Amino acid sequence: MKSLRQHTSLWLSLGAIILIGAWPLVTGSALSRETMFTVLRSVALASSLNILLGYTGYVSFGHVVFFGLGGYVGFYLIAAQGWNLWPAMLMGGLAAGLLAYLVGAAILRLRGAYFALATIGINEAVRAFINNFEPFGGPTGMTLNFKLYKVYGGPGAALQLSFYIMIGLTLLVVLLSYWVRVSKFGLGLLAIREDEDAAEIMGVTAPSAKTWAFVLSAIIPGMIGTVFFFKNGTIEPGLAFPLHTSIEMIVMIMLGGQGTVFGPILGAAGYEALRDYLLVSPLFKNLQLAISGILLLLIVLFIPRGLVGWLRQRYAKVRRWLI
Amino acid sequence: MRRTLYLLLGLLLIAGMVLAGCGGKSASSGTTGGNTGGKKEVTVTIGFTESQTGKYNVDSTAQTQGFKLWMEQVNNAGGIKLSDGTIVKFKAVSYDDESKADKVQQLYTRLATEDKADFLISPYSSGLTASAAVVSEQYGKIMLATGAASDSIFKKGYERVYQLYTPASRYLTGAVDMLKANAPDLKKVAFVYENSKFSTAVVTAAKEYAAKQGYDVVLFEGYDKDTTDFGAFINKIQDSGAEAVLGGGHFQDGSTFARQIFEKKLPIKFLALLVAPPNPKFAELGDAALGVVGPSQWEAAAAYTPDAAKAAGLTWFGPSSADFAKAYKDKYGEEAGYHAAGGYAAGVVLQKAIIDADSVDAAKVKAALDKMDLLTFFGHIKFNTSDAHGLQIGHEMVYIQWQKKDGKMVKEVVWPKEGATADLLFPLKH
Repeated sequence: MKSLRQHTSLWLSLGAIILIGAWPLVTGSALSRETMFTVLRSVALASSLNILLGYTGYVSFGHVVFFGLGGYVGFYLIAAQGWNLWPAMLMGGLAAGLLAYLVGAAILRLRGAYFALATIGINEAVRAFINNFEPFGGPTGMTLNFKLYKVYGGPGAALQLSFYIMIGLTLLVVLLSYWVRVSKFGLGLLAIREDEDAAEIMGVTAPSAKTWAFVLSAIIPGMIGTVFFFKNGTIEPGLAFPLHTSIEMIVMIMLGGQGTVFGPILGAAGYEALRDYLLVSPLFKNLQLAISGILLLLIVLFIPRGLVGWLRQRYAKVRRWLI
Repeated sequence: MRRTLYLLLGLLLIAGMVLAGCGGKSASSGTTGGNTGGKKEVTVTIGFTESQTGKYNVDSTAQTQGFKLWMEQVNNAGGIKLSDGTIVKFKAVSYDDESKADKVQQLYTRLATEDKADFLISPYSSGLTASAAVVSEQYGKIMLATGAASDSIFKKGYERVYQLYTPASRYLTGAVDMLKANAPDLKKVAFVYENSKFSTAVVTAAKEYAAKQGYDVVLFEGYDKDTTDFGAFINKIQDSGAEAVLGGGHFQDGSTFARQIFEKKLPIKFLALLVAPPNPKFAELGDAALGVVGPSQWEAAAAYTPDAAKAAGLTWFGPSSADFAKAYKDKYGEEAGYHAAGGYAAGVVLQKAIIDADSVDAAKVKAALDKMDLLTFFGHIKFNTSDAHGLQIGHEMVYIQWQKKDGKMVKEVVWPKEGATADLLFPLKH
């Protein structure tokens, strides 16, 4: 019982994701499945980035590069090499992890704004590379054959399968994020966030810890990329590496509370719900970007630590069980 | 003070939630029937997303305006009358896709399931259309793809997506034909193009075609989409000894490229660029625009008339180019470009398919579209029904050239010969 209570935050997070995932199954509506797919995608992307941004304190503006590269590698294996979705997805994740490992060793030496700028550069460099890489279709990208979905039981079943995989991946990210947060490795990351030099003196091997945090935050976005573009049916450089998605990921983390496990889930779900509502509401659909901008501004102005951070700061009791 | 601000924020959020509750209930339904004076009336719902924000905004808005003009005209004229006396009227449901792929599938699922759209129109651009096609096909909805010139979507096994634009593979091949007809001695051509999905697909096909026609392709080089200095490319063209240059990409880069070619007095005889020249703003380049050729999906001046249909042995349907152009200008106060014409043409094609099918049943309308062989103000419409189902095989590009008349820049149609309003100005005078 004690151990159950110890992990309240984990149960809360997993419960929230299972609720989001189960909603379309209860209602049986294809629209709510599509909506929850985008919500889960955002939750998983934001939670992944949180490992680097929230725990380690390194702001990556180009995190979408892992989503795009993973998507490209997985899509290529499915479309051109005839692989099944499952192994292709693993390869997508691996490719993203490998890129993070190689790049991380070099750019994680930079701090603050220099690191943020370098991550934008990496995103643009990979996009430019793919744009000129013929096996991946160059600037024209690749398109899946619609008949390919038959292997998975038809297009309807393939969309359903993508949704289940997305639930699985989101649960995985949350488990990973929670594990990092409560592990000794995670404590090292938090120490780096507070003061990197002091952390090194206290015995944290900062370069290796940072690199592994970067790799862990990259693998799942790579796998999500494969699933997203498998479902999307087409991939091209413009769709795979949108800088605005990186920025949205940061906004979601800020909204919910950086450095917490539950924060990015709350932030991503709240942000997506708001955007969805504004996008289709007859009253606001022409003003949706302006209104979501104003709401974000208000939240950032008045609760800069995000919702979870604010709750933790305000109520001492909450601090014990909500992380 | 702080308390008041929190209170205000709280109230704002509550207001938002209440409005969200109201918004949820206003979902509309699909085909609705009613009896008016003994006649049955059905309202057909047409769903699409438009790019109200983001990089496709201008082109997508024109497309939507064109489509809405068609809908308004048909509804005001009393709708379509079927043989059993049923009157078919139309209504549109649309959302903003923000020019991004993120939510296109979600919004098209909403259109197909919640809004119960009977027919769909594609978003603007090939990339977004490919995303939407997965959904439209899954729900068995017919989707008219306008504003999407990609070939590849139609080679992927879709059965219900129909393309109105001339596909990328034939986008610039007419320029090669025109060159051959006007300058049989010219042999060396260079392709310099924007490294984007659309332009690469177009020039790759045009290059193969030119090589087949016996041309010597001396340069084939892409530039980055944000290029503003074409000096290096112009030098390369000069070194290659090319006499004709084909390529370009979109408006900004295309007009800059044309201006710098003019300023550097590059000794070429023929220049054909994508997208930029048909835009009326291209004339602002002054003498740099003179003689530049550009492919266009539609031009108000192109002579597609009932008489041309008769001569070609085709059925004619819909208004003439001039009628459309006038109606568009009266309603929106601006000249119609080919994006607007494409949106209007989607409506015309659907209208004709419903008349031919004598029904709004999706299977019957699909059969009518498969059989369609039609001349409209937009040009010839005929779809591939075998290996690349839905691919446009009838429509041809028209080629315009900026020429000078009485000291004023005018846009003339120079190809194909049947629709031409002037002879090609050749060679380029710099």
